[in-house]
Amino acid sequence: MTEAVQEPEFTTRSIEPSLLQALSLAFTVFIVAYILIPILVTLVMSFNDAAMIRFPISTWSLRWYHDFFGSPQWTDALKNSIIIALGTTIVSTTSGVLAAWAFERFYIPLKDFWYLLILLPLFMPGVVLGLGVAISFGGLSIGSYSIYGTRELVIIAHSLWAMPLVFMLMEATFRTIDHRIIEASYDLGGRPVQTFLEIVVPMVSTGIISSALFAFVISLNEFVMALFLTDRDTQTLPVLMWLSLRSAGTPRLAVASVILAGAVFACLTLIVLWYVRVLRRTMR
Amino acid sequence: MTIAASGKAEIYALARQRSRIRERLSAWLLMLPALVIVLVFFGIPTVYMVRMSFNLHIDRRLYVPGFTFEHYANLFSNPLFTNAIWTTVQLSLLSALFTVLIGYGFALLVWLKPARWRMLFVGLALCPLLISEISIIFGWWMFFPKNGLLSYALVSSGLITDKISLMYTEFAAFVGLVYVTLPYCFFILLSIFDGIDKRVLEASADLGAPPSITFREVLLPLTRSGALVAFSQSFIWAMGTYATPSALGPDTLWTMGYLIQEQMLGKHNWPMAAALSVVLVIGVTCVMVMTRMLMAKRVAFHD
Repeated sequence: MTEAVQEPEFTTRSIEPSLLQALSLAFTVFIVAYILIPILVTLVMSFNDAAMIRFPISTWSLRWYHDFFGSPQWTDALKNSIIIALGTTIVSTTSGVLAAWAFERFYIPLKDFWYLLILLPLFMPGVVLGLGVAISFGGLSIGSYSIYGTRELVIIAHSLWAMPLVFMLMEATFRTIDHRIIEASYDLGGRPVQTFLEIVVPMVSTGIISSALFAFVISLNEFVMALFLTDRDTQTLPVLMWLSLRSAGTPRLAVASVILAGAVFACLTLIVLWYVRVLRRTMR
Repeated sequence: MTIAASGKAEIYALARQRSRIRERLSAWLLMLPALVIVLVFFGIPTVYMVRMSFNLHIDRRLYVPGFTFEHYANLFSNPLFTNAIWTTVQLSLLSALFTVLIGYGFALLVWLKPARWRMLFVGLALCPLLISEISIIFGWWMFFPKNGLLSYALVSSGLITDKISLMYTEFAAFVGLVYVTLPYCFFILLSIFDGIDKRVLEASADLGAPPSITFREVLLPLTRSGALVAFSQSFIWAMGTYATPSALGPDTLWTMGYLIQEQMLGKHNWPMAAALSVVLVIGVTCVMVMTRMLMAKRVAFHD
């Protein structure tokens, strides 16, 4: 695939006079700097020793990393974030994959309507979704157990963004599979559930893994809905960061940013590794 | 004989019907979890939010059931809210414009560059998408102030003598907002560019057109509708993103999203927050529908 794209290289070169080339170089520098500045500033600041955010940095240390992991408030927030992100992954991947399979396999009346309905929450601002869920379910309690502030409610709210994304990705993935294989499985006596789990799921494993990890990343990073729906005990790391940024910014926030980004990039690495594994297996 | 045959046909028909019913049932069963999430946790809150926006707000209680247009009237007459609506629209339009300009250049660059650079640039564009908004805010929060990197870099390079602070300015809010919306715009535009056959550039050059003419006469018409989609998408994202401008911008930069949070968590005025949300959603929906209509018209025109 990528080899084919390389061919027109000389054509673009030939229509690019030196002025254009200088312009494109300048633009490249601008865009790379623009995207990397906040990332590098954060990374550098997290290894700062001073208590203030101030450039230039005179001494380097891991002081704020020790501080982060020594503070129960921050480690609890990290724990909440991970639990909520895992919950969101499970809820949204299960519901999204099943719905996408139903769309692929069965006749559904008013298909376009249901498709739009499932995708709709994805286009809503987080602040609106958070507000809606908070005012509708915030006051509700099951027995003596109040729903407001629970991790479960945040998981559901995050699924409003994660599930449509999983659904969209999986709907596209399911379209690529060969239906004759499923018919063959049925002809050989495979039951629908068995066929789905043993034939279909392994075929689309890359899609499932990627969409699950995207769901995880969305939930891990989201903080507007979580701000409306969590209390002191269940607040996630981004919420705690937002609240402490409002009072005073310390290098501890930089450490928190690095940890969040580290978790996200670990997920991304997993996707790539999985993809390479699958590629290798099919190449053989 | 005939009775037995018709009986058999009936049994077959019945069995077929039963299996069809079972298929219908399993389709809905499979969709059930997703529909519960959407209908219960998105549908009910939306309806409830609209209802809430007509409730009364008396005696500093969260809300009092009732029916009034007071909040909507307030929204369009109180300068606090009209300014916020105006600020939000203005800021979103401006940032969407710059997002499209930068995103267009970036996508064009990636499209023109040899394929070996592509992965690197796509990875770069993914960064703002994968990093939490709060981390992005904090990154810029350390870049703009008096003791931040920008001021240090400018002073130590000798460009200026006194430290400067761009923190809490509209420029900082704008830079942060464009940063957040840029990746969406970039990926939309890159997919548009990828659909263009690169040989059209060659053909245009062979016919003697300089790059500027090629761009105006060939590339721009091919990407205009894509740029429009990218613009409306960026606009919608900018309308909904309130944390970045409110954290980086001046204290007086009140966007609708910020006021929703303020009314909900600070002032405990739920009906007002709901009314603001309803207006925001209607605005976003209008932009989406308008884009759809423009797109449809363009397609019809080309046919």
